[in-house]
Amino acid sequence: MGSEESGDRVFEQRGDSSILNYPFYGCNWDPIVFNEFGNQTVESSSHLLHFPSDMVPKISNFGSGSFSEMVTSFGHISETACHSNIAQNSEDGTLGPSPYGKRKRKLSPKNAEEEQHKDPSGDTSDFPNKDDDEKQKFEQNIGTNSRSKQAVKQAKDNLTGDEISKENYIHVRAKRGQATNSHSLAERVRRERISERMRLLQELVPGCNKITGKAMMLDEIINYVQSLQQQVEFLSMKLATVNPELNVDIDRILSKEILHLRASNPAALGIASGLNSSHPFPGCPQGTFNGAPGSTPPFNPLPQPDNDILYLLQHIWSNELQGLLQMGFDHDPSASSLGPNGPGQRKASISRAVSALWRGLWKTLVIRKGLSLI
Amino acid sequence: MKTEKNLPRNPSSIKTRFAVKFLQAMNKMNKRKNPSTSMAVKYKRYQFIRAAATSSMASAVGPRRAWSRAVLRKMRNHTAIHRFPMNNKTRTTRRFPITRRKRSSILRGNPRQEDDLGFGQEDDLRGLVPGGQGMDFCRLLSETAHYIKCLKTQVQVMTNVLHHYST
Repeated sequence: MGSEESGDRVFEQRGDSSILNYPFYGCNWDPIVFNEFGNQTVESSSHLLHFPSDMVPKISNFGSGSFSEMVTSFGHISETACHSNIAQNSEDGTLGPSPYGKRKRKLSPKNAEEEQHKDPSGDTSDFPNKDDDEKQKFEQNIGTNSRSKQAVKQAKDNLTGDEISKENYIHVRAKRGQATNSHSLAERVRRERISERMRLLQELVPGCNKITGKAMMLDEIINYVQSLQQQVEFLSMKLATVNPELNVDIDRILSKEILHLRASNPAALGIASGLNSSHPFPGCPQGTFNGAPGSTPPFNPLPQPDNDILYLLQHIWSNELQGLLQMGFDHDPSASSLGPNGPGQRKASISRAVSALWRGLWKTLVIRKGLSLI
Repeated sequence: MKTEKNLPRNPSSIKTRFAVKFLQAMNKMNKRKNPSTSMAVKYKRYQFIRAAATSSMASAVGPRRAWSRAVLRKMRNHTAIHRFPMNNKTRTTRRFPITRRKRSSILRGNPRQEDDLGFGQEDDLRGLVPGGQGMDFCRLLSETAHYIKCLKTQVQVMTNVLHHYST
């Protein structure tokens, strides 16, 4: 390929660029190879001159930072020299032909990736395909010389267009210094997918922008799902106690007003205010809640004789809820719903406890009434 | 105050579908009986409303999602059990299949493939999301995301309905 040749040309100016290949091949290097490596003359660049002497004694310290520095310097050279070529030819790299048949590699720190998949067009025509296992051994010996991670997408971008169209399975590049057996590759793909989903969830769950780490994120998610489910339960409880108008006109209900009316109001305030207004006990500190959703009309749906117990229950529940929520409640009416926001975990656990209390109370009440509905 | 010309923006969204089904269920319930509103009746109504909310949400979502399929399956089994209580064949005990993750971790004997740092969060999440037992973690996360979205719309619609009833 033309770009490959130009890449070769560029590097041939610096003497034998196959020198650049050798740092990648590790401790199991054939000693003969290294002798030849040492014999190669590198004239143009001063960095290259140091390499033979540096590489041989440091052959066992691939994991050290010095090596990466050396390669980084090379990488910058290569980047500045023929960036576009590198960008196009991932596998080809821009290195000159090596008599040892190693695959060309990119040296820029961004693109120093090792090929893992059998990409037919990746191999240069100059290089006979030498042993991959040697490379694998090398890579494993490198250890965790980790670089900044590249997305798989970037690896795909590096492929030429027809390569992408040819393959219809996911190509994964092992990064420098990472194990390359299929298990770890699959593991990495899986991990990336999971982190992508976690990011999506982070956007869904309010108040999770500051949380980093999978464990805490999962905690928040679990709390949020639990609180949402409890909200549904509370709402259905409320709906059950409301004396419904018969045959509510569906068209009327489906008006935009109904569907979007309370979209801005947090559900918790709706619930709390509904509860509070349903039993106007004088002694209750309801000011905070009633102040916020001022537009909620008080409703007293139940006929008087039956509702004392219910009122009692609601009163108990709402009072406790009030007291508990006021610990960490943001009195701003634009605060989010009963789900997590700030002291979310506490609120969620509080709501869980309260809902358990509510359920227990309801059950004892029904049992006391002599009914066996549970 | 309630103008009827305000139609929903997207008539086929999950929100409208859920709202329609939920309101139909409510209407059916209200039509059905109207005895004295005792606690027993209220509790039954509460249970019915809760079941109606969940099932209408699931049917609004359709069989596309694993969690909605699980909910619908549960509903069907539930009604089958209640209609034919003596018939044990219709009772489908939901086996919890060992997921690929668990199997491999069992085989290898190491919890390397756990993603929840060993605090049991994954299991909690599986317990929360309906149908969460039979999938791997990655799928579980996407199902959770969709489930959260649907729960949010459910809460929204129910709040609006409640508000409408109360005025």
